[in-house]
Amino acid sequence: MEYSMNQLPQAINSDVKTQSSENQNSEVASDNSASQTLDSENVDSNTLAAVLQFLQKHNLKGTADALKKEARLKEDQLRDAQALQVDSEATNLLSSYKSEGDPNAYEKAYLSYRRFVESSLDVYKHELSLVLYPLFVHMYLEMIYNNHEAEASKFMERFSIDQEDYYQEDLKKVSFITKKEHMKGSDLMENFKSSQFTVRMSRDTYSVLKRFLQDKNQSIVMNVIQEHLYVDMYEGVPRNKAQVESTAGAMEGEANRQVNKTKIYYGLLKEPDIQLPVVEEEEEGEPGEGGEKPKKKKPKKDPLLNKKAKSDPNAPPASRLPLPDLRDIDKLEKVRALREASKRVALGPDSLPSICFYTMLNCTETVTCVEFCEDSSLLAAGFSDSILKVWSLVPQKLRAMKPAEQLADIDKEAEDVLVRMMDDKTGETMKVLYGHCGPVYSASFSHDRTLLLSSSEDATIRLWSLQTWTCLVVYKGHIYPVWDVRFSPHGYYFSSVGHDRTARLWATDHHQPLRIFAGHYSDVDVVQFHPNSNYVATGSSDRSVRLWDCVSGNCVRLMTGHKGTVSALCFSTDGRFLASGGADQKVLVWDLAYGHLLADLPGHVMTISSLAFSRDGTVFATASLDGSIQLWDFFRLTDESSLEDVNISGHNPDLLKRSNVIESLRLARYPTKATPVMSLHFTRRNLLLAAGMFEG
Amino acid sequence: MSEYESAGSLNLPIESMKMMAESVGVAGLSDSAAKELADEINFRLKTVIQDATKFMHHGKRKKLSTMDIDHALKIKNIEPLYGFANADHIPFRFASGGGRELHFLEDKEIDIAEIIGGPLPKLPLDVALRAHWLSIDGIQPAVPENPPSLSKDQQRLESSDPVSKLAKIGDKTQKKSTTLTAIKKPKTETVQVKQLTAHELSVEQQLYYKEITEACVGSDEARRAEAFQSLASDPGLHQMLPRLCTFIAEGVRVNVVQNNLAPLIYLMRMVKALLSNQTLYLEKYLHELVPAVTSCMVSKQLCLRPEVDNHWALRDFSSRLIAQICKNYHTTTNNCQTRVTRLFCRALANDKMPLASFYGALVGLSELGTEVIKAFIIPKIRAIGERIELYLDGSGQANADRIAASHIKQLTIKVMVPILKVTRQPPDNVDDYRQEFGYLGPALHGAVNRARSQTTTTTASSGVISSGAAGSLGLSAGRGTIVMGGATGSATTSRNQTSAVANAASNPTKYMFVTSRPSTPVQATAPQTTQVVKLVSGAGQANKQTVMTTNQPKYVMVNSSQIVRDVGNKAPIKMEGTEVAPEVKMESSMVIKTENITILDD
Repeated sequence: MEYSMNQLPQAINSDVKTQSSENQNSEVASDNSASQTLDSENVDSNTLAAVLQFLQKHNLKGTADALKKEARLKEDQLRDAQALQVDSEATNLLSSYKSEGDPNAYEKAYLSYRRFVESSLDVYKHELSLVLYPLFVHMYLEMIYNNHEAEASKFMERFSIDQEDYYQEDLKKVSFITKKEHMKGSDLMENFKSSQFTVRMSRDTYSVLKRFLQDKNQSIVMNVIQEHLYVDMYEGVPRNKAQVESTAGAMEGEANRQVNKTKIYYGLLKEPDIQLPVVEEEEEGEPGEGGEKPKKKKPKKDPLLNKKAKSDPNAPPASRLPLPDLRDIDKLEKVRALREASKRVALGPDSLPSICFYTMLNCTETVTCVEFCEDSSLLAAGFSDSILKVWSLVPQKLRAMKPAEQLADIDKEAEDVLVRMMDDKTGETMKVLYGHCGPVYSASFSHDRTLLLSSSEDATIRLWSLQTWTCLVVYKGHIYPVWDVRFSPHGYYFSSVGHDRTARLWATDHHQPLRIFAGHYSDVDVVQFHPNSNYVATGSSDRSVRLWDCVSGNCVRLMTGHKGTVSALCFSTDGRFLASGGADQKVLVWDLAYGHLLADLPGHVMTISSLAFSRDGTVFATASLDGSIQLWDFFRLTDESSLEDVNISGHNPDLLKRSNVIESLRLARYPTKATPVMSLHFTRRNLLLAAGMFEG
Repeated sequence: MSEYESAGSLNLPIESMKMMAESVGVAGLSDSAAKELADEINFRLKTVIQDATKFMHHGKRKKLSTMDIDHALKIKNIEPLYGFANADHIPFRFASGGGRELHFLEDKEIDIAEIIGGPLPKLPLDVALRAHWLSIDGIQPAVPENPPSLSKDQQRLESSDPVSKLAKIGDKTQKKSTTLTAIKKPKTETVQVKQLTAHELSVEQQLYYKEITEACVGSDEARRAEAFQSLASDPGLHQMLPRLCTFIAEGVRVNVVQNNLAPLIYLMRMVKALLSNQTLYLEKYLHELVPAVTSCMVSKQLCLRPEVDNHWALRDFSSRLIAQICKNYHTTTNNCQTRVTRLFCRALANDKMPLASFYGALVGLSELGTEVIKAFIIPKIRAIGERIELYLDGSGQANADRIAASHIKQLTIKVMVPILKVTRQPPDNVDDYRQEFGYLGPALHGAVNRARSQTTTTTASSGVISSGAAGSLGLSAGRGTIVMGGATGSATTSRNQTSAVANAASNPTKYMFVTSRPSTPVQATAPQTTQVVKLVSGAGQANKQTVMTTNQPKYVMVNSSQIVRDVGNKAPIKMEGTEVAPEVKMESSMVIKTENITILDD
């Protein structure tokens, strides 16, 4: 809902030529303000009408009446507003397609533009060809809108094969629309008519284009470009084919350079000083910080030294996002983690990790997700028959807490109170959690292993206690299936994404989301928390990756380049890089500092299902449903790409040029027999765990 | 996906719309209305399916299920179609006729009483979690859970085209060098140059090799069984194959000279195990294996006491191995089968050849299939008969030779009958036979006649006969019999000492070793179903028949590794009994069979 309202401000942006950055910013601002206006006092009548319309559409009469009463709106007033709303929507969004032109002129116009692209100089060719796809789609829609159905289908048949492979899927969807009436209901349509397709061009290319449009008097092409395209112009040399292709492919065109200008704090938070009388003051627990040196052998005694080593200029201020205070149990856990980390194996090209593979048997096609907990002692699997199973991967069995009356008898001062609380009789290696009523699409453990989140097709998120083994909270907020949910690395917060095209930030003690991140043009399929908890990355079916600021709610990075649904995300251990994998079998590595594409790691032949960085950040593992795991030398990848070289045109030509180098970054490839890999996880000692279901 | 698009753009035809309208009671839908409806439904259906695929992808599946459609309808705020939930794909059946094609849901009539009265269906297996090492310090261990490190196809490619491997290596080094130049700043780059020299086996592999070879030829029967099992099933053996093959070849060479029957049998069983390993491609090692196996077939002496020990079983077993090798690895380049056939034919043609070798060559040829028998054995029957006549009828001959001659006779009859039965039309005339086949004519005639009568009776009773499928017998029963043969083979040797000692006094008696391939004609014509049980019963019958017809007092030694191992000292006692009634013998042979079946099941 927020989404469709946000379309309105964009209608203003019909002015094409080189929009100012302010304009873009205002758009972003209005995006995030949407969720706030819902709560605020003076809701304008338009918004109210939209909400009412939505409620009526979904048959929520009671709510609609309540809203009417509360807003004290008179019926006629409302009707006016509604009419206005419908009117404005229709006029703003669809009327742009109105034209009296001869349907056959489109074909001619498209052909002439294509010829122009083909005949232009090689330098400009690739950037100019970016216009072909939006031009094609909008021409088709225009023809449909003006009831030239036969011509439209002919047009589609003739030219759809010209378009790039990665657009074919969308084109198929567009080709479903064969009638004017269909245009209203289609999701994809909404994107095309409401948003502008971003095309990035150098100034030279743009002037070539302008000359063509003026000379040849191409009114149709001109019109489409003016109405539906946003040309993001930059100074510099036009890009070559590989560069153009590396960032093309998203539903909304390329990422606008302006979007990625905001500074983000990608550094890690300072580790809290743990003043516990526990031995071994091996305080240097920053994983990823200086990962390449042999691990923390020398115990550093001076805490000041450590602090200095850790003060990261890019780290967000500790007070930026309120985080829960550390409890004693958390501190104990931290110490345990540090001690484990001291035994960590240093990984590199010469010392590859061992991989322990957990195969799930007797469950062909029923497992929907697998998840390891942070300390690798638990494994959760969601099934398509709505259940959630949790296994213990260590000898300790899963125990439930004793009933209340027995708990009362326990001496609370006892050393082993935590152990005594648990009932040994309930010890099992596997426990089942029942509650959802649809396939469970994701699960996420809290850092302290006492809580588990799961999201399901039934549009709910459930919070489970792993001490009582019961459901604690049902979070209802998404109205459509929730594809992914993830706990923040610091606990308390969690984030979810779903079919309703939003990502939401929640806190475990609030039944409503704290933030709603709206902006994706299609399903949001995957979400991941930044290691410092201040940001959330989302990957979507609109083939883009976005980074959202949890504090402000803004979209701070937009990264395009995937040619298919984004299906996996992972932040590097030091927080600077983001890796994303998609249904297009690509693994892309992004530099968050500038939003650049750093590398495209090829080699998988099916959807990427999981990504993981080793604890020291040197090795990067990718897994795919094709049943293979690949290891990459991430240290060399970052070492050799010139990170600080900020290209003025806003794209990173660096590593892409040397695709043969990428091949040499691959350290190993391990196939399984017939098990699509669904999850990867590095243990604290850098052992790689993987899991999947056997499809024999 | 694009081919779908082109296939008529997948639109519902107007006729379908009209049909559907009629089925819900709307008659006479106009064309234009039907078209409008069809367009609309096409659009709606496609969007629903589009959404359903999202659920499929999130369910990590590659197949769209009915549940996905339901979920897609749900998000469109449409009531799902209840009652179509199906774990599998939608079970549409296809029918066509009269130029019309139809897909329909099969709706079986189910008898409620049957469901109520029937036993409860088995619970499905619970989900289990199993851990294994996909990689240890970067190296993928060759355990059954992991895919074979070098697939069989790849092994085949490399053996047939060694250049491909070289090219790959060259490619790698080349790539390395280009990357180096491209990087320009090699820093601390270390280049791993792969040596082309023979690689060394890891410590684990060396240990494995030592263990396996010791177990295979050692005295512990249980360990040996494990070792063979390991050889037959482990996926990571191809690196050790050269060593294992050399071991076998050397072993055979030494033991043939020293006439040690037992180790030879073990070595042959090793070959058998390697042959049955699905992940190995042995072509590169045939130059070692084929001579070794053929040695075990045609050597003039394979054991210390040829008149007592059952080296015939080893010859039979090896001949089956060679047939298997020819079948699996014969190519037009190595001409394996042709060369083997030529070798045996030359042996048959040689008059100076000892009878044991003669037998080996004959059995080798007979295993290679019907065509080989027709082409190479039938013309030679007369010569064979002339050769053995001397030994069988003459009184002054050595005992060993007589045994050998009778074995040859039996073998010839066994091999020939199924073929003669088909090629020759009844009625059979003894004189014709004598004329054509010389000395062996009458015996063949009798056997063929018997086989014919047997066939008719079985046809009447079961009607599952495929006559004259002698060639296919080798194939269908091949696997089973070889395993059984293996079992018997080993048992024979361990048995040999006892039997020799026990029966040293009563030497003139004949031993008939019931191997799993009974040597009577009936066996060959018995129903050729793949069910082992049937074969077994046929076999039992066959034994009985021989005994009945030949009517000679015989001691039948029934051997099976199982008995030796499990029954321990009980079996020998049984064996020492001088006379065993045919019934008893039959029973015990049945016992073996059933045990063999269990082996097969393993």
